Amino acid sequence: MTDLQWARISQDAFNAAIFSYLAAMVGYFAYLAFQRDFLWKVARVAAILGLSANLISIITRGLAAHRVPWGNMYEYSALLACLVVAGYLIVVEGIYKVRSLGGFVMAFAILTMAVASQFFYVSPGPLVPALNSYWIKIHVQAAIWGSSLFALGGIVTILYLIQDRRERRQVDSLRGEDPAPIMGASLNLDAPHDLVDDAGAPMSAAVAGGKKRLPSAATLDTLAYRLIAFAFPIWTFAVIAGAIWAQEAWSRYWGWDPKETWSFITWVIFAGYLHARATAGWRGRKSAWVALVGFVSLLITYYAVNLWIVGLHSYKGF
Amino acid sequence: MPSSPGFSLTQSVALVWRTLRSMRTALILLLLLALAAVAGSLLPQWPNSPERVIQYQRDHGLWGTFLQRAGAFDVFGSWWFVLITVLLFVSLVACLIPRTRATWRAVRQKPIQAREIDAFKHYREIPVSVGPDDVVEASRRVLVRRFYRVARAAGQPAVAAEKGAAREVGSLLFHWAFILLMFGVIFGKGTGFAGYAVITEGDTWVDARANYDGQIRTGRFFDGAFTGIGIRLRSFESAFRDTGQPMDFVSRVDLLDRQGNLVRQQDIRVNHPAKIEGLNIYQINFGWASVLEVRDGGEVLTRQAMVLDREPAPDGVPAFAMPWYGVLKVTSVRPQMAIEVELYPDSRALAEQLRTGRPAAMLVAYDPVIRYTVWRGRLTDPSPTSLDTTFMRETARGIVGGGRTADLTTGEQLEPGQGADGLTISFPDLRHYSVLQVTRDRGVPIVLAAAILILLGLLPALYTSRRKVWVRAEPHGEGSMLKIGGFALQRKPQFEAEFAKLVDAIARAVGEDGSEAPASGGSEKEKVGSR
Repeated sequence: MTDLQWARISQDAFNAAIFSYLAAMVGYFAYLAFQRDFLWKVARVAAILGLSANLISIITRGLAAHRVPWGNMYEYSALLACLVVAGYLIVVEGIYKVRSLGGFVMAFAILTMAVASQFFYVSPGPLVPALNSYWIKIHVQAAIWGSSLFALGGIVTILYLIQDRRERRQVDSLRGEDPAPIMGASLNLDAPHDLVDDAGAPMSAAVAGGKKRLPSAATLDTLAYRLIAFAFPIWTFAVIAGAIWAQEAWSRYWGWDPKETWSFITWVIFAGYLHARATAGWRGRKSAWVALVGFVSLLITYYAVNLWIVGLHSYKGF
Repeated sequence: MPSSPGFSLTQSVALVWRTLRSMRTALILLLLLALAAVAGSLLPQWPNSPERVIQYQRDHGLWGTFLQRAGAFDVFGSWWFVLITVLLFVSLVACLIPRTRATWRAVRQKPIQAREIDAFKHYREIPVSVGPDDVVEASRRVLVRRFYRVARAAGQPAVAAEKGAAREVGSLLFHWAFILLMFGVIFGKGTGFAGYAVITEGDTWVDARANYDGQIRTGRFFDGAFTGIGIRLRSFESAFRDTGQPMDFVSRVDLLDRQGNLVRQQDIRVNHPAKIEGLNIYQINFGWASVLEVRDGGEVLTRQAMVLDREPAPDGVPAFAMPWYGVLKVTSVRPQMAIEVELYPDSRALAEQLRTGRPAAMLVAYDPVIRYTVWRGRLTDPSPTSLDTTFMRETARGIVGGGRTADLTTGEQLEPGQGADGLTISFPDLRHYSVLQVTRDRGVPIVLAAAILILLGLLPALYTSRRKVWVRAEPHGEGSMLKIGGFALQRKPQFEAEFAKLVDAIARAVGEDGSEAPASGGSEKEKVGSR
């Protein structure tokens, strides 16, 4: 097959992935609303189909360009969406058995891919010399894995804050003897989740949460922490690998280029989050806000630096 | 000796130290560092893009002046950024010293016996048929095999065990590694330097201060020792895509030692620097050097390979469409002479530009052509790249092609083989020049080692947990009652399964099947509560 044909397949698969993710998103939200198991099954199948299409699109893109398929923002976005969805299916649904977050994850993946095809599309081709290094495999891989896990952590954190608010209201309304049926999870007045320690959150609640709309705030909090604690060393490694590459390509390992600066800022914020989690009085909502700031910083690192801030990474590459 | 003010000084020093010692202070300083970095990424920075700083100041008047004063255009070199960094590191050390001491003590100390073990989060009792001493000895062996540190109580059938010091040790390693990182950065930057070498094809450049192009950036503790190694540029090649996107630049060089002997041949390209005697040599830029010869009749006045420069391209014009510019100064004639040179490496592009009015990129050399302007008079500006024509007048302009000669009096290009008596200019050859960056940073291995330690420390600090277990045996009928209690400080849900397995293993070691323990009449209770 010719490069042009591969490129065509890649683009078709890309569009197929977006549509499958859309279907999956609708399915997941319908599951959230109506609590029918078959809706979840349909959504899951759609998500897996989308993931396969996404993967095919990435591989054929690499075949069309004769290189690793993460050489510019368009390719990077497709890979990010792919890993966020894969991470969700494996970690969140697979290991933690939390089924109700799919809609939000799909929404994130769709947004990432739509923005990519709308604003970043470039036809496949070789890399500029500065990117032509084996470090692109190491550094960029680590950066994408780190950011997709941070992104998942960010999504879960947002849901935690929503759920936490709901639970607090529910506690208040119960005290006001009006047990309104609020969309939400298990309520345990004896053990407000602030007293549940970092890893001691009742995972059983999440398992039982298959029938609930959103997992309990404590579960979401723990899940967000796990995802971020998983992402942090990977991100650290990505920054280090980037520094090693910069030493080879730009003659210095660190030069406060905007991308370097923002990856550092993101790193500092999540480091602050991990410290906050270990500090009494900062658990729960306060540290969740820190994680949210980190999520915003990650988005700036990813989008804004490439688009609006002039620097060495601004060739719509990284 | 300590008078009253001296005492208050001691007090305030102690207060500052106490403040710096808290993790809160360190975190606030870290946050400040991040905020400073935000400012540094949003405002144009002098070391990265001076022209954008000038533009910004022009656009923002008073505000720009204020920012300039505040050091906001060189955030990462400003006194307050350095201050935050220094305070952060002092605070870090202040936090680390007591923690390290405590950990050192804790690691060397034997696990402490507990008085009441049935109050721990996890607790099991199993009646067994062997005596208390055997039970405790068997438990000890099981625990040691599972990498617990175990201490036996004096004169009592009881052991205390602990595991997971790696968490704290890893965390300490992670934090101390930043001190090492800082040392590597300061040492490397302080004793290092960076400069540019401009080498024309066929020429040899020697590492000595005078041979660097423009300023070299030296560290504060730079010892001024240059290596004297040589770089001979055999050839330079560039490749572009049809779109003008650069594909590859490569300088093929001979690396020479101090005596000029060949050490090795190497290709230097982007991402593939050369390394010799502690120097790193990077491909940075390239351009054209035209070989020009000026004669007066038979006498050669000058012959040199002129390194030409390009003006920055205006918006919408490809950079490679700009002609290459230089000034050739001839001081040995009266009146003195300067020849301004404009090189078009690809004459097809020039022809197209003249026809269509649109500038076209000149990526390869093809029938190169030079437009020149001759000035006569008094040369006042010694710079090789600029020309002050205040005391000069233009006497001729014309064009000379590659391999051709032109008469400088008339501005006419001569036919091949045609001789001339007066001043002539010839353009026998066009060569590439390559701009290499030469740097020395001895701190790189230290920084790399620190980065590896940071990662190595981070993993146990995040993913291991501290666990404590106590085993006790009391006489019970024929045999004894085995009592096991314990808890985990982190990763508590995982410990539940681990504890159950541990209980099984100990029970099996003393000849009981742990899972059948309740059936054999023992009481089993899983206490849920705080210890």
